[in-house]
Amino acid sequence: MACEQKYEALLNRYLDGETNEQERDDLFLHMETCENCTNHYKELNKALLLVQSSSHIKAPAGFTANVMNQLPAKKKRTSWKKWSKQHPVLVAASLFVILMASSLFSVWNEQAGEEISVSGSQKVEVDQDKGIVIVPEEEVIEGDLTVRNGKVEVEGEITGNLTVINGEQYLASAGEVSGEIEEVDQVLEWIWYHTKRITADVFSLGENAKKSEG
Amino acid sequence: MDAVVKRLIKEIKKAGDQDAFADLVDLYKDKVYQIAYRMTGNSYEAQDMAQEAFLRAYANLDSYDENRKFSTWLFRITTNLCIDRLRKRKPDYSLDAEVQGTEGLTGYSQIAASEKLPEDQVVTFEMQEWVQTEISYLPPKYRSAVVLRYIEDLSISEISDILDLPENTVKTHIHRGREALRKRLGNA
Repeated sequence: MACEQKYEALLNRYLDGETNEQERDDLFLHMETCENCTNHYKELNKALLLVQSSSHIKAPAGFTANVMNQLPAKKKRTSWKKWSKQHPVLVAASLFVILMASSLFSVWNEQAGEEISVSGSQKVEVDQDKGIVIVPEEEVIEGDLTVRNGKVEVEGEITGNLTVINGEQYLASAGEVSGEIEEVDQVLEWIWYHTKRITADVFSLGENAKKSEG
Repeated sequence: MDAVVKRLIKEIKKAGDQDAFADLVDLYKDKVYQIAYRMTGNSYEAQDMAQEAFLRAYANLDSYDENRKFSTWLFRITTNLCIDRLRKRKPDYSLDAEVQGTEGLTGYSQIAASEKLPEDQVVTFEMQEWVQTEISYLPPKYRSAVVLRYIEDLSISEISDILDLPENTVKTHIHRGREALRKRLGNA
């Protein structure tokens, strides 16, 4: 039929709620005279009413409990993941601290296993087997003495500081140390010792520079 | 309701709060189940699909955009699951098919009725069953559009969001689905 194309489109728009008043009147005026379109409209309307009337189904009892039982157990890893996504700076910082600590620790460990080393003066007796460094009687060591991984027996004289890392010092009655005696045998102390030394170096460098300027 | 839903989702995202999720399931279970039932046509598969939809929503909540409606996102998961199931469904699994070696016995008769109905509800139940059967004859793409439009009462633009189709395509699917239903239900 000639009317169908135009009015079927109009009817669809009417059912979608998209027609204006003019179009609606137009459609219903047409349907008064066109039995075909009227039947089409009535059948569509009936079908839609049937579909809508059947729309009250509820989920079966115990549905929520069923779903909750199937939820995966909480994973701690995922919460950590979330946290790390939210705080990238903290993650980077803690990673840095871990790396620094582990490298310091490995340096410390390397040293701890090593043989005796003496810096500052060569005028000492070193007994590798017993692990003893002796500053002989009548010997005067000018400046500082640093000994790693060994006992130190001072029978002579040291004009500067004595530093013992990872070992002990024994000052004989005849011996003499003019400066400070320092024993370092903990990682933290060792780090502190290093920091102090570095700052002291920087400081004295600055002083030297000032002196040379002046 | 939107404010409640937003708060619940925040709790679930932040602390994995399962009680909050249970509240969310309670809020949407009927609608989700209804879509699943209308799409699959039987309560067994409907329960399966609806549960799966909620489990997926929980697992993928991080990817939910809070600026959009939660129901749109949830219904999208549900319809996608159902359409997938319908595609995979083999013809010999159909409940409408006659069971081999029996006369007039279909798959429906092998599923135990989950609840007993009072006498006066039987008539409406039969009519509903008939309407549902007719809906089940619609091709999945028309079926999803018709179910969301006429059973869930959603707007064309919402349906277009849920089905991820242009609005005009949604309208065409509704028109064709409506026309098919008219032929089956209209002259009864």
